[in-house]
Amino acid sequence: MPVAETMTPRQRVLAALAGRPVDRPPVANPTNVMTVELMDLVDAPFPDANRDPEMNARLAATGYTELGFDSITPYFTIIQESSALGCEMQWEQKDNWPTVRMARPIWSGPDDVHIPKGFLQHQDTRTIIESIRILKREYGREVAIIGKTMGPWTLAYHVFGVEKFLLMSIDDPDTTMRCLEKLKEISVVFGLAQIEAGADALTFPDHATGDLVSGEYYRKFLQEIHTEMVDRLPVPLILHICGNTLDRMGYISQTGMAAFHFDSRNDPQKAMDAVGGRIRLAGNLNNPVTLYSKGPETVREEVYRALEAGVQIIAPECAIPLRTKLENLLEIPAAVKDWAGERMAT
Amino acid sequence: MPLTHEGLRQEFAYVTREGERLHIGEAFERADPLMQEISYNLIVGGHHEVDRLVRDALGRGFSANTILDDGLIAGMAIVGVKFRDNIIFVPEVLIAARAMKAGMAHLEPILSASGIEPIGTVIMGTVKGDLHDIGKNLCIMMLRGAGFTVHDLGVDTKPQQFIDAVVEHNAQVVGMSALLTTTMPNMGKTIQAFEEAGLRDQVRIMVGGAPVNARFAEDMGADGYGANAIECVERAKELVAASR
Repeated sequence: MPVAETMTPRQRVLAALAGRPVDRPPVANPTNVMTVELMDLVDAPFPDANRDPEMNARLAATGYTELGFDSITPYFTIIQESSALGCEMQWEQKDNWPTVRMARPIWSGPDDVHIPKGFLQHQDTRTIIESIRILKREYGREVAIIGKTMGPWTLAYHVFGVEKFLLMSIDDPDTTMRCLEKLKEISVVFGLAQIEAGADALTFPDHATGDLVSGEYYRKFLQEIHTEMVDRLPVPLILHICGNTLDRMGYISQTGMAAFHFDSRNDPQKAMDAVGGRIRLAGNLNNPVTLYSKGPETVREEVYRALEAGVQIIAPECAIPLRTKLENLLEIPAAVKDWAGERMAT
Repeated sequence: MPLTHEGLRQEFAYVTREGERLHIGEAFERADPLMQEISYNLIVGGHHEVDRLVRDALGRGFSANTILDDGLIAGMAIVGVKFRDNIIFVPEVLIAARAMKAGMAHLEPILSASGIEPIGTVIMGTVKGDLHDIGKNLCIMMLRGAGFTVHDLGVDTKPQQFIDAVVEHNAQVVGMSALLTTTMPNMGKTIQAFEEAGLRDQVRIMVGGAPVNARFAEDMGADGYGANAIECVERAKELVAASR
């Protein structure tokens, strides 16, 4: 029997982020759950839906109206600020993600880092800010609106190039730190603009990814900056880092971030043990195998596994492939509701 | 000849699997102290030192093949083990790769002129929609070091580009890389394109990239999966052998 829902989706998400009791665990999308099917449904295809506020809001809303998630996330990609900074873009088509041409970096060191005039008025930052206003007006009382601002490590990949930046990090750690200190101001400016527009929470992706750098790197270059972000961005922050991150979850849990959005390569029980209740976890349904190529039964098994481990917010691990089947996404809230009915009703 | 270089001996301690200790240990034991010095400096990313030492070794009459096998590749083998075992990460691998490149700049012209037959031809590329290339480039460097001819299609490679390159170069193996969970499905689409072109039986396909795993590779219909650059070379050797 389904559990009686006594909270709105917004209340549920915000309570979970704050570590307060919930009527059932929320289903959220800290990154993106948009698909080609949803684009067709509301006539808001990529790449245009990333660049037009009304189209963006129309597509983002389907995360709630069609999929039944408890949150709406209008920033689908990781490239909006970088486009506004002047990075060369590859906008792609409906079924491919827009991306930054990182092989053609725009900056080479900390002295180059600056916030261009009109940064928040650029089409690609304005789209997100205006979309949040629209979504807040239409759904804001009921659903949690989650914005997103990229962390300095991710921005560094885009503006300096991944290889050049990683080489800099080992050749010249002091210069690397100066770059990050300046780049973080971009994260703050864009984040505050989204909060002012009505974002209830912000995802903070910062790709010090498990496959690329060590947990010690995270501690050395980012832990302090992330702690500072908690003070400067006055809404719950959801840190997102891909890959195997068990070696840095202890550090992450000390930043004061509300939640950590984690990858399926981390066992949920081990992740819960690693953070020791100091931060909430969101995730960690596998995208490429489970959501993209398996069926609802496998999705349900993974949802249950995360819930049994105690993961507080259920979500795909990262932005999903754009051809992911809707039936698999619909299964996520259905499985959470069934689990809650079985485990929380008594 | 014993492993006399103290720093290298400490690096070798990271190799704990019996088979690997035997294989890499043999390479070091036959290596001249100068080759051990090259290996050590490659592992710690001393590209200026590797550049100087390789020039020195050539000047002292060591063959390009000896320097490649006993100095550069033997060092890279330890880098591969440390990376696989999460002792080092991509920045440390990048500085080792930079050192290898510094050495290869002196060896490549000699090796190319020697007329030695490559052990196979591989087409490498990052799949459509994905612009990440660090992992792919490391694989290419290791494949070339192992004696393969590699044609690098770069990033954002469309299925037809892979097909055209296989036909043009009569390649036995295709290697596809993806870093994003959002672009991984394009591996499957490329394999499907080979099937539709009637070329699937003529080429072996291997895949890799941070979010890729063996299960996904199998689901997509790939012939092999490599978790890192060392495994990429192993898969390529197996697939070339299987194609004969």
